[in-house]
Amino acid sequence: MTSRKRPIHPLSRRTLVRGLGGAAIALPLLDAMRGRSARASGETPPKRLIVMYTPNGTIANNFWPGGAEADFTLSPILQPLAPHKQDLLIIRGVDMLSSLSGPGDAHQKGTGQCLTATELLEGDFSGDAGQSAGWAGGISVDQLVAQHISEGTAYASLELGVAVQGSTVSSRISYLGAGQPLPPENSPYAAYQRLFGDALGDPLVIERRAARRRSVLDAVSEQHRALSSQLGPDDREKLENHLLAVENIRARLEQAATTFGGECQPLDQSEIVDPSLVFNMPVVGRLQMDLLAMAMACDVTRVGSLMWTKSASNHVFSFLDPAIKEGHHSIAHKGDEDTIKVAQNSQINTWFAEQLAYLIARLKAIPEGEGTVFDNTVILWTNEQAKGNNHSRMEMPYVLAGSAGGYFKTGRYLVQNSQTGHNKLLISVLNAMGVDTDVFGNVEYGKGPLSGLT
Amino acid sequence: MRILKHTPTALVPLLAAIALTGCETPAPPAGQPDSCSGEIEPGPAPIRRLTRVEYNNTVYQLLGDTSWPANAFPPDEQALGFDNQATALVVSPLLAEHYLGAAEALAHAHGPKLLGQLPACVGDSISALKCSADALTFIREFGKLAYRRPLTDAEVAIYDGLFQDGTTLGQEPYTPQVGVEMIVEAMLQSPHFLYRVEVGVPDPKAGDVVPLSSYEIASRLSYLVWNTMPDPALFAAADADELRTPAQIEAQARRMLKAPRAREAVKNFHRQWLKLDDIIPRIAANGKDFDIYPDYRAKYLPLWQTEAEAFFDHAIFEEDASVEALFTASYSMMNKELADFYGVSGPTGDEFVRVELDPTRYAGFLTQAGLLALHASPDRSSPIHRGLFVRETLLCQSPPPPPDIVPEAPNVDESQTTREQFTEHSEDALCSGCHRLMDPLGFGFEHFDGIGRYRSNEWGLPIDASGELISTDVDGPYNGAVELAHALGSSEQVKNCVATQWFRFGYGRVETEADTCSMDVIREAFAAANYDVKELIIALTMTDAFRYRHVVRPTEGSSND
Repeated sequence: MTSRKRPIHPLSRRTLVRGLGGAAIALPLLDAMRGRSARASGETPPKRLIVMYTPNGTIANNFWPGGAEADFTLSPILQPLAPHKQDLLIIRGVDMLSSLSGPGDAHQKGTGQCLTATELLEGDFSGDAGQSAGWAGGISVDQLVAQHISEGTAYASLELGVAVQGSTVSSRISYLGAGQPLPPENSPYAAYQRLFGDALGDPLVIERRAARRRSVLDAVSEQHRALSSQLGPDDREKLENHLLAVENIRARLEQAATTFGGECQPLDQSEIVDPSLVFNMPVVGRLQMDLLAMAMACDVTRVGSLMWTKSASNHVFSFLDPAIKEGHHSIAHKGDEDTIKVAQNSQINTWFAEQLAYLIARLKAIPEGEGTVFDNTVILWTNEQAKGNNHSRMEMPYVLAGSAGGYFKTGRYLVQNSQTGHNKLLISVLNAMGVDTDVFGNVEYGKGPLSGLT
Repeated sequence: MRILKHTPTALVPLLAAIALTGCETPAPPAGQPDSCSGEIEPGPAPIRRLTRVEYNNTVYQLLGDTSWPANAFPPDEQALGFDNQATALVVSPLLAEHYLGAAEALAHAHGPKLLGQLPACVGDSISALKCSADALTFIREFGKLAYRRPLTDAEVAIYDGLFQDGTTLGQEPYTPQVGVEMIVEAMLQSPHFLYRVEVGVPDPKAGDVVPLSSYEIASRLSYLVWNTMPDPALFAAADADELRTPAQIEAQARRMLKAPRAREAVKNFHRQWLKLDDIIPRIAANGKDFDIYPDYRAKYLPLWQTEAEAFFDHAIFEEDASVEALFTASYSMMNKELADFYGVSGPTGDEFVRVELDPTRYAGFLTQAGLLALHASPDRSSPIHRGLFVRETLLCQSPPPPPDIVPEAPNVDESQTTREQFTEHSEDALCSGCHRLMDPLGFGFEHFDGIGRYRSNEWGLPIDASGELISTDVDGPYNGAVELAHALGSSEQVKNCVATQWFRFGYGRVETEADTCSMDVIREAFAAANYDVKELIIALTMTDAFRYRHVVRPTEGSSND
């Protein structure tokens, strides 16, 4: 065999946990604790939203289903989703109209606007050929949902990434507001420690540390407030957002630590690989999805996003096929008549669909009430554009998976009228998550939800 | 010396000469550009958050810490190609959590050592009274280093309270070490540590512009020249309020440029301006086609980056290189492995040493393998990307955007040279309008293949490396990379571009209309020093933009209300 093996860089899990300050896992205590997700019977389970972003557009011919609304056949790219066909809403004909305006190049606009649906800010992020842009110009749909449904959860939302490089508008999809990007965590190990480090530690040590943190963070906040009052408006806004983050950490200290029990169980992250390496994407992506599912099972958050690389990412997907030698962005730029590159791009997008199928399966594996966590979830699969070789943002390849507690009527392939702005799709998602609004983003590009989804 | 709208008392004697002229708008001070004849105009001065590099360097200076904790932080937001642009840098909830974790780890690692600075808090029978007095001293001394200025009494009181809390939060009845650690944890999360806060010299009668205090200047100097906090000499100068005149500032800047830390900061600039730090990840991400480049190995990537960085370092600090010399030098820096790749002799070990090169083939940094391989495809050179690099990065010009529908590049064809394939493509009237700004600059590098190595032919076909400079101040035909590099090295536009990039890197912001005088001061000083890069850095400390700021006008109420 000469095929290249995926290199794994093993670290001792024990070293990792100890290195991050975790003491012995308090397993004997588990029986005495009650998992946060163990809800009293009859209680309405919470709804969850997960956004999955993949870059560089798709291959329309291999993406859109055949057939009609309820009687459709899955395309090659969506074939991995066959086990979940009845849980899908495949929505054709929605355009990212807002992203045809405002500062930035095509990828920048598509990325910064995919969840915000409004023009980017002016700024100094350089795009193609001298165009430039700033951060997104408004709150993203996941964060607006988080504001409404995060009451009582330890984290309002969880942003995860897989090999997302860079730190510009092309590398961010979630925004707390205009100019307030949320970076994704690329390391599933760091993310796990962030969310569950306390639950893994010695409760006495954790409580002693919490007492220190309360005093320290109060002192920090006091200085923040004193300084903010002396600053001009721009600096002040920046410091106030920083202070909000400090206050969120502080508020978390007043909540009971997450405890394992019921469906909320520690993750086995024994496969330790370097998250920055492209050929580790399959392992890292799976660990991130495991963590997303666990976070939902433990109810530490109800909103998550998973960003598979940045827009215009040029990662080489040779782990899928050694014949793939060019970066994803370069492949996506090839013309429609380049059948080899079209096939490779289809292969990459099929793999992304496979990942979505895995995430769905994970959520379906977590019982909740009479059903599963997936029943109360909706996953939005988005991209920054529809087509890689011309940057088209018309007829975006949108897929919703999950009904959000029966809100969406799934198992259908819907075609919208042309010139339908993606604001309307995001409004549908907001409505599904219980946010009662008929506007989102720039109202110029659409008002009210999409028709026919419910 | 020029006027402020309101004249600070200290400057009055110096301004007397100007006042005597009786002009509404005085002439620029002797030797200053015409654009400096008006009132002092410092431009914007947004609050600057420490970058990851600055955070690491700062905790190294402050605590002797060598764990580089900021490497685990989310990456710094990048704007204008740099990681230190004030307006782009924000603190997300994730970063705030990292700040907390790093502060705790640093306090834990260095707490025992720091406790040694509180002698009354160590030993068997500790007097809480004496220990508390030591703690106050520690708060003032360590706090001054962390805040890069003396603490106010109100700030000292906050930390005093925190210390007292800490003494009760350990496992023993009285735990001063916990108190000390909590002081450190809070200071390292304070906005006065994480940001460079500036208000200028308080003056109730001040107009719109005020000079920066000596402590603020000390921080500006240290983060500009060293990318880290001030050293004891800068603190001493600030204590004596001796960072207020151009002569005082210049003397410090010259002292600082001689320190090794300055070389690291200059490396940091080139790493970012020329995207040398893209060489490893971006080439590794795409790889190179093994069928076409069987000699390519990923192990060359770090060598290529090191070559470029070592070249700039050597040229600027050992040879006092001018900008022109950076483009035209007929040597590079290599170790044995890299010399073998180039097929040249000289180095015998792992150390990077100066290697003389054939001046008919090589000129300065432009013919080094890393940049040429970066601006290339996996299977061939890329005249478009190389030309775009020259146009955008070296000439500071932006070609118009490509159309939304981008035609596919032709596949590699062994019966044609790369140039022939792209000549065909740029003869298309739709493309040539813009591509004439890029391709004729990139064709000059056609003697260098997709892994940046010199080639005398392509598929056995002769290479045409002739091109033409257009829309520059050195327009005209040229032949080959050496002629192109010499032309660019002689270009005023390129030198002004270098100055502009340093302005952005040094001040953490884009240049504005208001900076005309500051920019002219920089350019003139740079020219007067025959474009010696070290003198450009000195000039950056001599401007209105560096020494002054607009008065901060606090906004009423909270923007979150």
